[in-house]
Amino acid sequence: MIILDQVCLSYGEKTVMDHLSAQLPAEGILALKGPSGCGKTTLLRMLAGLVKPQSGAIRGCDPRKTAILFQEDRLLPWRTVEQQIQDVLPPGRRGEASSWLERVELSGEEKRWPGELSGGMGRRLALARALALGGELLLLDEPFAGVDPERAARILERIRALEVPTLLVSHEETALRLADRVIPVEGPPLRFL
Amino acid sequence: MNHSPNNPIRKLLPPAFWLGAWQLAAFLVDRSVSGRGNELLLPYPLTVARRLLELAGEGAFWGSIFATLGRILAGMVLGTLAGALLAALTCALRWADALLSPAIRVVRAAPVVSFILLVLLWTGKSTVPVVISALMVLPVIWGAVGQGIRSVDPKLLELARAYRFGRWKTLRLVYLPSLAPSFKAAAATSLGLAWKSGVAAEVLCLPERSIGFHIYRSRQYLETPELFAWTVMVVALSLLLEGLLRRFWGGKERGG
Repeated sequence: MIILDQVCLSYGEKTVMDHLSAQLPAEGILALKGPSGCGKTTLLRMLAGLVKPQSGAIRGCDPRKTAILFQEDRLLPWRTVEQQIQDVLPPGRRGEASSWLERVELSGEEKRWPGELSGGMGRRLALARALALGGELLLLDEPFAGVDPERAARILERIRALEVPTLLVSHEETALRLADRVIPVEGPPLRFL
Repeated sequence: MNHSPNNPIRKLLPPAFWLGAWQLAAFLVDRSVSGRGNELLLPYPLTVARRLLELAGEGAFWGSIFATLGRILAGMVLGTLAGALLAALTCALRWADALLSPAIRVVRAAPVVSFILLVLLWTGKSTVPVVISALMVLPVIWGAVGQGIRSVDPKLLELARAYRFGRWKTLRLVYLPSLAPSFKAAAATSLGLAWKSGVAAEVLCLPERSIGFHIYRSRQYLETPELFAWTVMVVALSLLLEGLLRRFWGGKERGG
């Protein structure tokens, strides 16, 4: 269970979280659904340890054991598709890169450069990299932006098969339909409905 | 008509034009100054080429070229390493930036001849060209690498942190590739600077086996064709090294 206890965060005059308390089950695929700018991405970044709460505490989530997929692809332009995956794998497991690419349906693209990929392919590559990094919690911010619904559904089932607790933020109907649980949120400040 | 930039005729046209201009200027000098006028003031390209061929037959010629080449390359390597290290230091530590940046800017702005004479007082005459080349290269590399470090995409740095890359991996996968373009441009520019300043230092300090020594001697004995021949050699070597550097990096880029 991930526990948010009286978490507060502001950027200047904008209050993103105001004594936010909640308990999120750390199992299955959990989707956060809410309007843009309500603080969903900030929550993922906070769970990944990239943003520190100004007060309050987070329990049941070790940022060193999370894998986050950012809202942007953030691919390294000078690394090939295969290298992007190999870079996050431990030295003895570099050979697994192809299996992670297969999960996001990018087999055969190993030697291409990020600049040669379409928007949807880049998104799937960034997703494969986050999955390959792995950990005890997957934090996926808009994992299927630009990915067609049928493919997104297939990939989501493969993510489910990994049996890693997953918290995702998405506006895509497919992801919301196939998630084990959808939690509606609103804000700012972020509130669980 | 072939308009491709790789068309050999297109490539040869600019040097042919300037050779023609040189020939014409030498001819005009020859017409207006009597006696050995043109040989003293502006020799014909052919006279210079003939002198260059004569020099190339002498053992001392190649010995001097390799000695100068060695000094300038040593200066280039030292200046590049020092410039890159200082850039990393001044970007990482505020006090180092406050302390070192003004000093490096002074080195960049000070006249090279002042440094040559000062370094000559402090070290041996064979060392001066190495130190001077390094001092000319250092601020250029420092500026480019510092600028490169400061402009690394913060989102990629955050990715490196979130993906637990560690310091060495972040350096190898994020910093070095990000600053490679500005570093390569600066290295190509500073190679020319190293040549110019290194040979100037040799002319003033006169190490025995050096291009600068021969340039000085040619000027002293009014051997203008020889002066031109050595100058042509310096330019040719500088262009050759720059070309090799660019070709090496081009090949590395194609190979990923």
